Amino acid sequence: MEGTLRRRSGKMWMVLICLMLNCFARIESLSVSVNDVECVYEYVLYEGDSISGNFVVVDHEIFWTSDHPGIDFTVTSPGGNIVHSLKGTSGDKFEFKAPGSGMYKFCFHNSYSTPETVSFYIHVGHIPNEHDLAKDEHLDPINVKIAELREALESVTAEQKYLRARDARHRNTNESTRKRVIFYTVGEYLVLAAVSTLQVIYIRQLFSKSVAYNRV
Amino acid sequence: MEKRAIFLPFSLLLCFLSTSLLPTAQAIWLTLPTTGTKCISEEIQNNVIVLADYIVVFDDHSNHPTISVKVTSPYGNVLHHKENMTHGQFAFTTHESGNYLACFWVDSHGQGSRDVNVNLDWRTGIAAKDWESVAKKEKIEGVELELRKLEGAVEAIHENLIYLKSREAEMRTVSERTNARVAWFSIMSLGICIAVSALQLWHLKRFFQKKKLI
Repeated sequence: MEGTLRRRSGKMWMVLICLMLNCFARIESLSVSVNDVECVYEYVLYEGDSISGNFVVVDHEIFWTSDHPGIDFTVTSPGGNIVHSLKGTSGDKFEFKAPGSGMYKFCFHNSYSTPETVSFYIHVGHIPNEHDLAKDEHLDPINVKIAELREALESVTAEQKYLRARDARHRNTNESTRKRVIFYTVGEYLVLAAVSTLQVIYIRQLFSKSVAYNRV
Repeated sequence: MEKRAIFLPFSLLLCFLSTSLLPTAQAIWLTLPTTGTKCISEEIQNNVIVLADYIVVFDDHSNHPTISVKVTSPYGNVLHHKENMTHGQFAFTTHESGNYLACFWVDSHGQGSRDVNVNLDWRTGIAAKDWESVAKKEKIEGVELELRKLEGAVEAIHENLIYLKSREAEMRTVSERTNARVAWFSIMSLGICIAVSALQLWHLKRFFQKKKLI
């Protein structure tokens, strides 16, 4: 599922140029199921934009070990360089400055055979600087402050989304523990009863008349 | 859930008229394989507005693949199901809290040996709010509108915190119940062990007495 950078048609370029009037962009905290490699692309408008986000492996069936071995996360810039990478983690935050504008690729790599559900959140934040102020007469210095305030609120929201994802993972563990307690305990009782019955039957058989005339 | 027809000149005009600080539709791009489904899910609480737009990004004008979309609620109800689409939109208000799933797959009869790129803009809650209509209704603009948006963001943060608190309380209940159960079941396990072995001994003693061995 490793996609390569695709050229867009002329129409899409025009729509995207219109979207350059933005100050910031974000997506909601989505979950995707990672079998081997799953990649998500996000377009960054300005060089120097701060790309921040987090991801948490939410759904995993760990049996014996207490912690998940983790998945790998890489961010590839439009030029093909790996800008940021995290290895073997079950959830982390990331933040870096975009070295250039263009299409960034965010990839999750699962090196284990069981599919994992990863909940991620990516935010591209732009604060207009003096260069943008000079270019666009609609922008006021107060817009810069508002943009900074908005970015600060965005970082709080991002933290909350991270907490929600971690809470979802904790809830999965709790549910799994609850189910295990019930099933394994009832199973233990049944197996105990079955084994003791088998024991009694075996001992009875040892003393039955048909075997070696009561000689044990 | 009406289908939104994108008229390029209209959208260009809209983009140019929008203020420079309006958060418009920037979203994630997904790559759909030629076979198989790609699903995106989000855990959403009750009574939240969800708004989503999807567009198939064409590489060149010759290849126009179409995709199909299906959106399901956590209880299995299908909220939106459309086939043979190149772009579309769906919106709904959540009635139950849980995992909402949006699945995309490429239509099989399309000419396709290459992966299809889809641009998905998925917004929930405060991000789905239509600020333009609020601005028109209350006749505010510019800095005041921006501050109103920030106020909305702060309210959303507050609601999120309350939600996290209630989630934590639920989990704490489950944890404490499991804790109590572990104690009870372990003691019961010990009791059953003792009872079963006593039963065994009693039965074997009766058996040997019947066999006149003891």
